Amino acid sequence: MYNFHPYSGGGKIILALLLEMGRINPSDELRDVVYKCTECGACAVSCKFLNTLEPLEIIMKLREKLVDAGYGPMPKQQQYIDSVKKNNNPYNEPHEKRLDWLPEDIELDPNAKVLYYVGCTSSYRREEMAIATAHIMNAAQIHFNILGKDEFCCGSPILRTGDTKTFKEFLNKNLDVIESKGIETVVFSCAGCYDTFKVDYPLYRNYNFRVLHIVEFFDDILETGHLKLTNEVPLTVTYHDPCHLGRNAESYEEWDGDVVDLMPLVSINMPPKPKRTGAKGIYDVPRNILKKIPGLKFVEMERIKEYAYCCGAGAGVKSAFPEFALTTAKNRIQEAEDTGAGALTSACPFCSTNLQDAIKESGSKLKFYDINELLLMALGLETKALKKKMVEAA
Amino acid sequence: MALDKEILKEFVEVVGKDNIDDGEIMTNAYAYNWCMEIFNYMEGKEPIPFSPIPKAVVLPSSTEEVAQIVKLCNKYGIKFKAQSTGLGPWNQPSTDNSIIIDLRRMNKIVKIDAKNLYAVVEPYVSGAQLQLEIMKHGLNCHMPGAGPQVSPLASATSMNGPGFTSPSTGHSARNVLGVEWVLPDGEIMRLGSLGLKNNRNWYNGDGPGPSLRGIMRGWAGAKSGIGVFTRVAVKLFPYPCSTEFKLDGCSPDYDFDIPDFMRVYVMDCGTFKYLEKAMLRIEEEEISFMCSFMSGFAVMAIFATSIEDLMDKMAIGSMKVPLVVIITARTQREFEYKQKVMGMILDEMKLNDIIGTLYTPNPIFYAEALRSNLGLHGFIATGGFQSTKGVCDTAAVCLRSTKKNIPMKKKYIKKEVIANDFGEGHWMTSYESGHYFHVESPTMFDQTDQSSVEGMAEYMEASNQMDLLKHLGAPFFVEGNKLHKLFGPHMSNYHIWLRKIKQAFDPNEIADSGFYISAQEESKEKS
Repeated sequence: MYNFHPYSGGGKIILALLLEMGRINPSDELRDVVYKCTECGACAVSCKFLNTLEPLEIIMKLREKLVDAGYGPMPKQQQYIDSVKKNNNPYNEPHEKRLDWLPEDIELDPNAKVLYYVGCTSSYRREEMAIATAHIMNAAQIHFNILGKDEFCCGSPILRTGDTKTFKEFLNKNLDVIESKGIETVVFSCAGCYDTFKVDYPLYRNYNFRVLHIVEFFDDILETGHLKLTNEVPLTVTYHDPCHLGRNAESYEEWDGDVVDLMPLVSINMPPKPKRTGAKGIYDVPRNILKKIPGLKFVEMERIKEYAYCCGAGAGVKSAFPEFALTTAKNRIQEAEDTGAGALTSACPFCSTNLQDAIKESGSKLKFYDINELLLMALGLETKALKKKMVEAA
Repeated sequence: MALDKEILKEFVEVVGKDNIDDGEIMTNAYAYNWCMEIFNYMEGKEPIPFSPIPKAVVLPSSTEEVAQIVKLCNKYGIKFKAQSTGLGPWNQPSTDNSIIIDLRRMNKIVKIDAKNLYAVVEPYVSGAQLQLEIMKHGLNCHMPGAGPQVSPLASATSMNGPGFTSPSTGHSARNVLGVEWVLPDGEIMRLGSLGLKNNRNWYNGDGPGPSLRGIMRGWAGAKSGIGVFTRVAVKLFPYPCSTEFKLDGCSPDYDFDIPDFMRVYVMDCGTFKYLEKAMLRIEEEEISFMCSFMSGFAVMAIFATSIEDLMDKMAIGSMKVPLVVIITARTQREFEYKQKVMGMILDEMKLNDIIGTLYTPNPIFYAEALRSNLGLHGFIATGGFQSTKGVCDTAAVCLRSTKKNIPMKKKYIKKEVIANDFGEGHWMTSYESGHYFHVESPTMFDQTDQSSVEGMAEYMEASNQMDLLKHLGAPFFVEGNKLHKLFGPHMSNYHIWLRKIKQAFDPNEIADSGFYISAQEESKEKS
């Protein structure tokens, strides 16, 4: 049912044109088409090889228009927006339980200049990612802190479903807290939070701290020798590029030029306007980490980096259209299996959940590990849960 | 207007409820197509990029489903318009009593016969998809100038199909072998060796008995006006050079190592007369992979990836009559031979190759040439692009057409309705080592500017008239009753015979003839 042209990036540009020309009006039918998209940005990469089209931005604007007209987001998505407003997270979990993931043996430094922004999904659903990140930070003797009860949803699930007004509230809440603490660097294990802080926040409000995904942070530490990977991890592993860490994690570059008419119908940007092509996503860093893990054999899937296939979970699809999300993830699992790998890894809690659901659903023998879990294994710091997973895999 | 619910139910029984949609959003979206605004204006309608809205869009997955859909259309007097990769107004219905059969679910490469040099593809296989698979066998396919994103099946059965590699790969009409064809009444017809009673296969497009290839597609194809093509065999060619090459980096800034045995030459021939001599001389030697005349502006465009990038290539743009030649080889010895021949011709004709001296292309140009992606550069300047002309004839006729067209094009440039390429924006390629030639006049306009759209349409109409009055051959966009009526009497009354074909195959006008010819002289719409 997703084969009709309007489900593509090009088709959604047509929908925007139809809406703009008044040939169609906001409706439930339109909403169903516009929201069946993970906003993975693959269309935007393809459109910018020669052209300057921005299908992803158009899709986001279409959603914004549907929210303004009272048709968006999808009912399930509205439920988690309501939960964010009420609980500061989309999972309807009590805010007080945001720290439940935190093991007692993790050392935090209230005066640290490095902040680990955990995010809702790692706090409530993919705790193993947060735990692994915190243990590795300690192992590397990094002084870091977390916001704890002062951490709120980054707003990504709200922004991607078109409610920019609510998104701005949470953007301001997070930036106010972080800036009040004199933080210099914020690190993220969640690709979605990272993308939102790095790419989307500056479109609304500038801030003066550095943002890094944890793979960038750990790769630096590995390079400087502060972290030694001593244990063999005898796995053949393939890596899935999260859209939020890959093609969508490219910042907008400020352009303050002029459009100069060269001749009738032909104009030129002076100086040339930077194109956001997806080329500056974080692609090599996670691969570098995997290649540094002793005993680990790294193999690539066919569609990678800026052309990577989406896991299927993004932009509210997992909640509103779970079958669509799962079908997409199963395709990706098939691609991962085709490499001959025994394990699949990634660096995003949404990808992690959806790909693991697809592994289970399709009866695949692949094992999924977050990239930080592989690092933990290489450091010999496996948690009980991770050990259990390794035994099951063996 | 949506389908009657009882009729819809019958379509659902064929394709399943997820593969048909008659809702407002889907049907309106399918009414859009690139350049529809020009053709609307030429038909005296409002210049908007939308055709009549189809009654429904249906997505079959097999030939049998297509046949059943067509039979239902016959049963209820509803027209159908089939589309595959769907680029251009030819894919659009001409009436609101039409459904669109979108063939995108039929996207399989059915067979690659490397030994006998052909591949069998379904409608939604793109040229890029096919090329990627056959490269593994050291083979290549012809791709039309529209680019690697379009359907080889559509080009082979239903369109014109010249391409940048036409000197070595011919054009789409010449590359079609066995065909599976759902006729306008829903019967399935198999052409050529595919129609044999015993040992049927795809290797031949003709016979037994008289060939039906001409009836199927003629010069420029019927654009679904004579049925739906569901599978086709197309010829394959040895890959022109080494298939091993290194590609690093990310889109669009790839780092590409030019493969072994590939070289581009760009020369300024100075005059059209000398261009003709040079093209014929080079093609006589059968050494080119690509051999195209383009304007200076167009040569700038094929080497550029953005409008800003285009503007710093003025050294090329100032060339009067540029000729672009690419030679390729599969061995060092063959490569040396071809370079030697090319060198001799350049010496003999006193032509200077500017590559490596005045200009050195970014290596990604070579990848795009292999990928047949160069035509898409026509969109860089204004975002809108369309061609006039399209004659297939001798080099002399093609160049006469070019020369006549320049003053006319300048007139529209002066009106500021099309972009200024000094009137010289033409593309001419040889077919099959210079046996015949193709010329068209790619023209940049602004689809978002009504006066530009109208001006472009008027220029296209004036160009058609000039081709007719000055005997410059048939443009490739002679389609629909109006233009057939205009050109037919001047060209052996071909339109009468074309209409007889339509009458024989589709007397009830179920296959939408908006871009073909109607069975009756004045098409009467059936409700």
